[in-house]
Amino acid sequence: MCAGYTSGYGGYAVMVCNGFRIFLCHFLLLLTYTVSAAEPGQTLPVVPQPFPAPEFSLKGEGGKQYRLSDFRGQVVLLNFWATWCPPCRREMPSMERAWKILKDKGVVILAINVGEDEDKVFEFTGQYPVSFPLPLDLDASVVRQYRVTGLPTTYIINPKGLITHRTMGSRDWDQADIIKQLLDMRQQKQGVE
Amino acid sequence: MWNRTLVSAFFLIMSGPVQAVVSTGIDEDAKLPYWEIRSPGISLRLVQRLPDQTRGYFMARGFRSEDAEVIARSCVFQTIFRNESHKTRPDAVSYNLKEWTVLQAGHERKMKTREDWEPVWQAKGVDHAARIAFEWSLFPTRQVYRPGDYNWGMSIFDLRPGTVFDLRVSWRQYGKNHVATIPDIQCAPDIHPDTGAMQ
Repeated sequence: MCAGYTSGYGGYAVMVCNGFRIFLCHFLLLLTYTVSAAEPGQTLPVVPQPFPAPEFSLKGEGGKQYRLSDFRGQVVLLNFWATWCPPCRREMPSMERAWKILKDKGVVILAINVGEDEDKVFEFTGQYPVSFPLPLDLDASVVRQYRVTGLPTTYIINPKGLITHRTMGSRDWDQADIIKQLLDMRQQKQGVE
Repeated sequence: MWNRTLVSAFFLIMSGPVQAVVSTGIDEDAKLPYWEIRSPGISLRLVQRLPDQTRGYFMARGFRSEDAEVIARSCVFQTIFRNESHKTRPDAVSYNLKEWTVLQAGHERKMKTREDWEPVWQAKGVDHAARIAFEWSLFPTRQVYRPGDYNWGMSIFDLRPGTVFDLRVSWRQYGKNHVATIPDIQCAPDIHPDTGAMQ
C-alpha cells in the first residue's frame, strides 16, 4: 500500500513510495490512460420495461406548437437540454448532423429546452445553428413528467409511443451504429424487439 | 502521456471493497484545479468554480445580486460523474448526495442539495424562472447511470471561499456499496470587490 501526503496550492498529492510501490502506481496510471483511450462504440441503453411516453404540447420557435402525439408512427429522439449545460452544447452539432441524415426517414428529433425563454434559445442557436424543433418547457413541467433528474437526458420513443431507450450525458448522435439503431427502430411494431 | 504521468501526482485510498485512485491537477477546459476519483466502473471529477463565475452565471439567470452572492460565496464546484463500466464490465451505478459527507476542521456534515435550497429561495422571493435554472444547474441529488451515462452539475458545499475540506463519497455498483474519500479539496478563493484582496 502506498502512503501519500498533500502539499502545495490546491492540495496536490505527492506520492511517497518506492520500489514495487512506484511500479504499481505507474502501472495503475498506465492502465487508467490505456482504458480511457480504448473508448468503444456508443450505444443507446435500453430501459428495462418500455413505458408510454407522456403526452405534451409545447410552443417552440416562432410560437409553433409541438404535440408529441403528432409524431406517432415515427421514432422520436426526445432530448432535454439547456444552453448553460456544457454536455448539452457539446452534443448539439452531432444531433444536427444526425437530423440531416434522419429527418426524411421516419425519425424525428425534438430537443426540449428546460426553463429558458425564446431569446436565450435564439441567442444560443446563433452560435450552434440547428434546424430540428426546439420546444420550450418554460415552467419545467414536461421535464418533471418525464422524471428527468439531470441534463442532458434523451429518450428514444418507438413508433408505438413507448419509451425504449434512455441516455444521460452527451452522445455522438451521428455515429454510424447509433444511426443504424434509430433506423432499425422504425420497423418495431410492439415494444422492444 | 509519460510527461503527464510524471507531472501528475497520485495516491491510493482503500475504500471498502474497491481501491480508488484520487488525483488532482488543472482541468483542461476550465483551466482551474480539479480533484478526481477513479475506481473500476466510475469516475468523479470536481472542478473549482470561481465565485465571480458563479455570481455572473446566476445573475444572468434572474437572481438578484445579493442572492447570487450567497451562492458565489458558498464554495461551488462543477461536478462530473461518469459510469465508465461500459469499457470493462458493464453495470449500472447509483449514488445519493444525502449519503456524502463533508469533513472540515474536525466536523462532519451533509451536502446542501437542490431540495435544501428550494425553501431558501422561496422564502427570499426568488423568481420562479431563476429557481428552475438553479435547480437544473445543480448536480442531481440521486441518480442512476447506465453504462456510458454521465452528468454534469454544480455542487455547493456551503463553505467559505478558500476553505480546505475532505469529501467522503459513496456509490453503489456491482451489487456493493463503495466509499472513498477525496482529501484536501480547496474551495476557490474570492477576490474582495473593494480591496482586490484574496479571501
